[in-house]
Amino acid sequence: MPKKTNLSIKIFLFLILTDVLETFTQFCFKKTAIPETGIEIKAFSAVIIFAKAVVLSPFLWIGLISVLFTFIIWSTILSKIDLSVAVPLASFSYIMVPLASIIFLHEKVPPLRWLGICFILAGVVFVSISSKQKKAEA
Amino acid sequence: MKQGVLFVIFLITLTAICDTISQLFLKSTINSINLQVNNIGKIIKLIIRIMGIPRVWIGFFFSTLSLLIWLFALTKSELSFAFSIDSMHYIFIAFGSLLVLKEKIGSLRWVGIISIVVGIALVSVS
Repeated sequence: MPKKTNLSIKIFLFLILTDVLETFTQFCFKKTAIPETGIEIKAFSAVIIFAKAVVLSPFLWIGLISVLFTFIIWSTILSKIDLSVAVPLASFSYIMVPLASIIFLHEKVPPLRWLGICFILAGVVFVSISSKQKKAEA
Repeated sequence: MKQGVLFVIFLITLTAICDTISQLFLKSTINSINLQVNNIGKIIKLIIRIMGIPRVWIGFFFSTLSLLIWLFALTKSELSFAFSIDSMHYIFIAFGSLLVLKEKIGSLRWVGIISIVVGIALVSVS
């Protein structure tokens, strides 16, 4: 009998890994896009210049490798849990960075951001519980 | 300036819609494979099986489209502003899962999702 997978620690670790990779990807893509900020993309020729600069940037290619790994891990996650659980839980990354900077760097955090962190954390907990309930009923 | 912001919001909405479509194709493909993944070998097998299903390539197309629009939007906007707008993405995913994948979303999960959207907007803006 195949073991029924619940929301395990492993899935959470996978989700965090996806988030880290995705953040890295975003960083690479932003780096790809930055040099072209000056270009006003209005004419078609400007679009071609932009596309050429994007393709030639090494950051694009590093980013794409990161996308490939993200895809493999993400597919694994989706083979185990609902899409409407996986995507909200991936929002965990929004609180990892602020929490890390609070705990390790003793940064001061504006109250509004604290409130945001609490909202996200509550949301993640609710979604996790809703997933467990469904599994229990099944 | 005002128009610029509206244009960025429009672009990011488009990105979120494209990404949602690609996620729906991917998830429905994986659902149709129905493979128990519990080791690296099974993961590779799953990925190969996914690639063999034509439907998933429509998903990849939308994923690429979403990425291109997102890249373009980032040349016009700060990352933090872009992320705060992108939080609506969770709402699209929820409706997509509900309507297309027939996932059961109870009130607790809705509350959780909305709470996350509000939270991301607050974290990004502050």
